[in-house]
Amino acid sequence: MTMNHEKEVIADTGGLSRRDVLKGGTALGVLSVAGFGTQSLAQAAVPSLPMAFRTEVEVAFRINGAQTALALDPRSSLLDVLRDQLGLTGAKKGCDHGQCGACTVHVDGRRVAACMTLAVQVDDLDVTTIEGLAEGDVLHPMQQAFIDHDALQCGYCTPGQIMAGVACVREGHAGSPQQIREYMSGNLCRCGAYPGIVAAIEDAARVMEG
Amino acid sequence: MSRNFYPELVRVDALDKVRGATKFGTDNRPDNLVHGAFAVATIGKGRVISIDTAAAEALPGVVSVITHRNTTSLKPAQFLMGGGFAFQTHSPLLTDHVAYRGQPIALVLAETLEVAIDATAVLQVSYEEQPFAATIDNPLAEPIAQAEAPMRYPLEDISVGDAPAAYEGGAVKVDSTFTMERQFQNPMELIGTVAAWEGDRLTIHEGTQNAGGCKFGVADQLGINPDNVTVISPFIGGGFGQKNSMQSQLVLAAFASRELGRPVKIVVPRRQLFHDATSRPATRQRVRLAANRDGRLVGALYDVDAQTSKLDFFPAEHADTAARFYGYPAFKSFTRLIRTDIPTPGYMRAPFEHATAFAIESAMDELAYKLDMDPIELRLRNDTAVDVVSGLPHSSRHVAECLRRGAETFGWSRRDPTPRSMFAPNGDLIGMGVAIGLYSGSGGPTRARITARRDGAVSLNVGVHEMGQGVLTAITNVVSKRLGIPASAITATVGVTSGVPQPLTAGSWGSASAVPATEAACDALMKALAEAGVDISASLPLGEMVARTGAGQMQVEASSVAPGQELQVLGRTDTGRVAPAGPVYPGFVAFSYAAHFVEVHVEGSTGRIRVPRVVSMFDCGRVLSPRTARSQAIGGVVWGIGGTLREGAETDARYGGVMNGDIAEYLIPVNADIGSIEPGFIDEPDFQVNRSGVKGLGEVVMAGVAPAIINAVYHATGIRVRDLPLRLEALLKPQA
Repeated sequence: MTMNHEKEVIADTGGLSRRDVLKGGTALGVLSVAGFGTQSLAQAAVPSLPMAFRTEVEVAFRINGAQTALALDPRSSLLDVLRDQLGLTGAKKGCDHGQCGACTVHVDGRRVAACMTLAVQVDDLDVTTIEGLAEGDVLHPMQQAFIDHDALQCGYCTPGQIMAGVACVREGHAGSPQQIREYMSGNLCRCGAYPGIVAAIEDAARVMEG
Repeated sequence: MSRNFYPELVRVDALDKVRGATKFGTDNRPDNLVHGAFAVATIGKGRVISIDTAAAEALPGVVSVITHRNTTSLKPAQFLMGGGFAFQTHSPLLTDHVAYRGQPIALVLAETLEVAIDATAVLQVSYEEQPFAATIDNPLAEPIAQAEAPMRYPLEDISVGDAPAAYEGGAVKVDSTFTMERQFQNPMELIGTVAAWEGDRLTIHEGTQNAGGCKFGVADQLGINPDNVTVISPFIGGGFGQKNSMQSQLVLAAFASRELGRPVKIVVPRRQLFHDATSRPATRQRVRLAANRDGRLVGALYDVDAQTSKLDFFPAEHADTAARFYGYPAFKSFTRLIRTDIPTPGYMRAPFEHATAFAIESAMDELAYKLDMDPIELRLRNDTAVDVVSGLPHSSRHVAECLRRGAETFGWSRRDPTPRSMFAPNGDLIGMGVAIGLYSGSGGPTRARITARRDGAVSLNVGVHEMGQGVLTAITNVVSKRLGIPASAITATVGVTSGVPQPLTAGSWGSASAVPATEAACDALMKALAEAGVDISASLPLGEMVARTGAGQMQVEASSVAPGQELQVLGRTDTGRVAPAGPVYPGFVAFSYAAHFVEVHVEGSTGRIRVPRVVSMFDCGRVLSPRTARSQAIGGVVWGIGGTLREGAETDARYGGVMNGDIAEYLIPVNADIGSIEPGFIDEPDFQVNRSGVKGLGEVVMAGVAPAIINAVYHATGIRVRDLPLRLEALLKPQA
């Protein structure tokens, strides 16, 4: 697989479709990542991977406004790259399967599960994480609202909740408590801070839409 | 409520948490890090015959593959409730024994996580399989009477009066059996370790409720001096009991790091947490209640089957809770442990009290209908000031007040008790249910250190863990009020073993242990200032008082123990052991209480259940931090909703393992599942249980939610559900 091919695929898909990226011949390796823990795969005789698969891929993107360029294992998730290579540990790993939302970040302004986004998909795109949300010491209205409504306990899902909450408002999905509940149901909070989260998003929406 | 003793303080760690700045255990990434990933057993039980690691080791980036052949220098872990530090006795990868499906059998270490995960898939493993029992109904499951089980801390059955005779003679009876599937804690933060050595000194970053236990436990397994181990767990991304002891990966991360001479990080994937960590055990409970026609209970019989593993006897304390609900003149329990081939079960929020309340309080609702009596009135008639088991008085018991205030807030008087009698505008059936819950008021030995500087800044170091419950905010609030200093001047540090010892934080004894110790430290500080010649009655600012001693700062340490405990018991927590006391103390018994009022809406044709409204009243003693207590209470009710309507592990009886072993298939509540939750607090201190008046909150908030929902569903539909989780088909089956 070459970089050019990767770029073509991303261009075709707006950079966000995992399925289409897999067309590039990486399905085998990616499956072994996604399927880790499933017993049948663990026991199957996996053929040796094509050498090309191990080639690092040059990826350049903007992270919280700063340009960055990395040579990445094409299997790397955006989440692992943020956490392990860029030191941005605000996005959290809660499931690694797109089930919990703790890793929610913005890619070109849209909320995505960073664990389900291959890092190579964000080539040439804008990535914003919780660390890039405040303007210096001035908190984003959503961050302030989470404090005001005590919309957190352990704080582990909180960065993802806040990034999802900001997107929820921008999408126009914060029109009522019921709508917020529906559009925030991809972000699990095991401490059960949901009532506070809904109140915080309602509050922040008023400020954001000023 | 508006008249709290302590002021509303903003959660002290909220600012960092909303900025993503709080560092959790596996957020740490020392240089030269090696990543670990487990391969897990694909058989239900047996042993590993061989593991061919050649293909894995040949993958570029693989550093090492560790199997049981490499770990002979390690000592096996010991069960927390068997005198050790770990969630079970069995240590994966230390022998060829496979005790259950999904148990780790090899650890791959690689330069990147991607390579490590990939390499686990190319290990060639052969096994010798053995028959096994993964469920309590399996013929190979082994029941044993708990009273006869060889447990380190034996549990007797309870017998008060002649309960069988009293039951037989009762005028109105209920005889019902309740079942509950295994449930999993699923804190959002995965279990994981970052281990690094510097010479012979080991540093562990791990989200754990028991940094002290991890320190002494890993030292024991490695055969090193515990003084050389530092465990760092200042913030935990939720524990809920699953992180209350040493987990499988800890010693292996430390061992691998020592072998490789490089830091090692292992994050245990979610699916593996369903297979190699604790769960709330499956239970089967039979409740027999008998009452006079006036509603007074005359006798109760309570039988429990609780799942355990074949590795350890996990103590089932359901009866100790059941016996405290009411003033039964006669009560008898019989508990069996059902040994199965799963990881040893453990403590999940309200570990026994959730299941017990479900059974007892569902049966009470059945009794109320048989008596044609309001369920609140039935509960009030059977309230008691005396513990029937010990004969001792309850130190405080505001059950009646919780019921009365809750009923008023909820609007209970609007309820028509006839099933299927109330409807929402959209045609949904409306049901309203009530239930109480209770939890032991426990406490234990704890140390606290306070440092006051002449610039007015105060540092606290206390033996407790912050897992989201808000203990940092609570102790800050207490110290602020006690020393008359602003909360912003206080910095509290917990969960790090390089300071004061860090005992297990669980069982709702965290604040009830840490706050008395913190108050004692405040007193010790004032005493030390007085002894240094400072006039402490002169209302000087604290910093000024410190300055007048001539020193730059003043540091004191203090400790506290639970009523009836000797000071020597501090030696136990100083060495990582568990040493709580309660609920039975010399001269009294202490419990926290809850009364939950639930409204459900049931869609008639599909049986879909919504919970638009819950009102809950709590008697937890003194409320230390109104804001975080409120959040904790709301969270507990959310747990109750999940534990009733959503959560159940589907164990595969044929092959072992949990079939719905992730958080898309094992359902925990999402935002759309939750409506209005309105908690209230009695806020009456209980100064018998400790000097701070705290009985504990984190568990009782969940206890009793399940039966309140189930009773509401009965009211809505006329269908009595006795198996959890409540699935829609239970409401769609033709009723006998």
